[in-house]
Amino acid sequence: MSDATNDLPEATGHRLEELEHGLFTSDLSVNEFLLIKEVGFHPVGFVMGSSIYHTGFQTRKWGQSQELTKLTEAMYNARELAMTRMEEEAAELGADGVVGVRLDVNYYEWGKDAAEFIAVGTAVKAEDGVSRLNKLGRPFTSDLSGQDFWTLLQTGYLPQGLVMGTCVYHIAHRGLGQTLSTTGQNVELPNFTQALYEARELAMTRMQDEATRLEASGIVGVRLEEKSHQWGSHTIEFLSLGTAVRQTSSEVTLAKPTTIISLDN
Amino acid sequence: MTTADDPMHALDLKAEVRRAMASLETPAPYGGSTTSDLSIDEELNLHSIGWEPVELVSGLSVVSVPWGAWNWGQGEISAASEAHEQAFRYAIARLHNDAAAAGGHGVVGVHIARSVHPRHIELALLGTAVRPIGASVVTEHDVFVSDLSARDFTLLMVSGWQPLGLAYGASFVYAPRRSVGAVLQQRSQNVELTNFTEAMYSAREGAMERMQAMALALKGTGVVDVTVIEGPMPFAPHAVEFASWGTVVRRATDVHRRLHPRMVVSLDDPVVLFDARTLS
Repeated sequence: MSDATNDLPEATGHRLEELEHGLFTSDLSVNEFLLIKEVGFHPVGFVMGSSIYHTGFQTRKWGQSQELTKLTEAMYNARELAMTRMEEEAAELGADGVVGVRLDVNYYEWGKDAAEFIAVGTAVKAEDGVSRLNKLGRPFTSDLSGQDFWTLLQTGYLPQGLVMGTCVYHIAHRGLGQTLSTTGQNVELPNFTQALYEARELAMTRMQDEATRLEASGIVGVRLEEKSHQWGSHTIEFLSLGTAVRQTSSEVTLAKPTTIISLDN
Repeated sequence: MTTADDPMHALDLKAEVRRAMASLETPAPYGGSTTSDLSIDEELNLHSIGWEPVELVSGLSVVSVPWGAWNWGQGEISAASEAHEQAFRYAIARLHNDAAAAGGHGVVGVHIARSVHPRHIELALLGTAVRPIGASVVTEHDVFVSDLSARDFTLLMVSGWQPLGLAYGASFVYAPRRSVGAVLQQRSQNVELTNFTEAMYSAREGAMERMQAMALALKGTGVVDVTVIEGPMPFAPHAVEFASWGTVVRRATDVHRRLHPRMVVSLDDPVVLFDARTLS
């Protein structure tokens, strides 16, 4: 489904060149910065990708539950464009990966069909010089925070990539007959339940497919977001996002946690 | 309590009060009264690395933007970018002066209140001046400014790094309008709006470039905790903004000192809020 172009829009050159000469920028907090140093990585630059995208229009049938493939494609492609551009910047910096990735969709005064898709994160590089690129030979991406990244690495796992699946689904309205026949009763509304299940399933499956492509052994920190964006109440986007991980060493260096009771109030 | 073992009896109260009053009028060589917006924890943190708060300091600047700057043209809206740069520069300079006058060596926990209006750009900075305990006064050029909290400042110093100053950059760019034909043709399609994407990229490059140039000028090796603001201006949707700032840091010691964090599991109860109105 991805046909993201790899070329970065012009004018990214000079800034990245400067970063290669030793200065790093990062949106990590001091805590995260120090934790990333702790596991032997060094931040190399604040990287981002964005795409301002106009989503097309697709007619929906009032009484029919269906996936709106055109909208799904738009949501997927636009995010993919932003992510690929971010990855591209990281690759240009010679980074091994990008941590703390945030994916956002912003709607502005440009009309309800135009949205900004943005991906930002901090590119990091291993200090020991051993490449940590993923199976596809690209820098890994991950939405884990510096704290989570530290913890994950202590258990012998390494992130492989931020994986996502999305599905824009139109949920059928209930007919007048159906509504009347259930008035005053406790009943499950099977058409709603089924539609929600199916949409969620589609999104999750797509995410898992991406993880399989990266030969990951699992996905951690999965979030499932349901949003109507600007489409009204019966059209919902299901987005599942998580970090695909792979075990790279069986050595677990994570110390046994100390239990604490804080005396703050 | 009229017994002789009452400690208050042993003191000459009048003399005590006179002494206290005198000490207020002529401050002690150091460590006189201080004002700060630090919490007790933060103050203790600072003391643990041998620093102390001195005074709450501020810097404010309002710079005008020429009329009509937002509405036409192409490429960068340099009048706005310059106004933004000036507002930051003036406000930071005032913070430096204030801090140096108070005897501080740096300002931490700087809170940045920034607002961009069609006709002016407003910037207010407020932070706490700090210095190594009992250190002598330095000139305003040697004062550093950082938006890191006192806690983050402590962490940085402990691990062998030092903040050097605040680097910032902003760029406002005008996004060309699409032709009517293109708008109609693309109405039902999934397309990237390249005019906006390009404008956004150009604004970002300009802003980040400026921030990095400042960081290099301060002889830093990194910028941490970068804050980014981006998007179209609410009052001019075809003008996009990108602004970023962060604290410039450099390693103060030869090696990075590791912190060796410990894993903890907090056994605190989750906070339960009880609302009596739910009972009715």
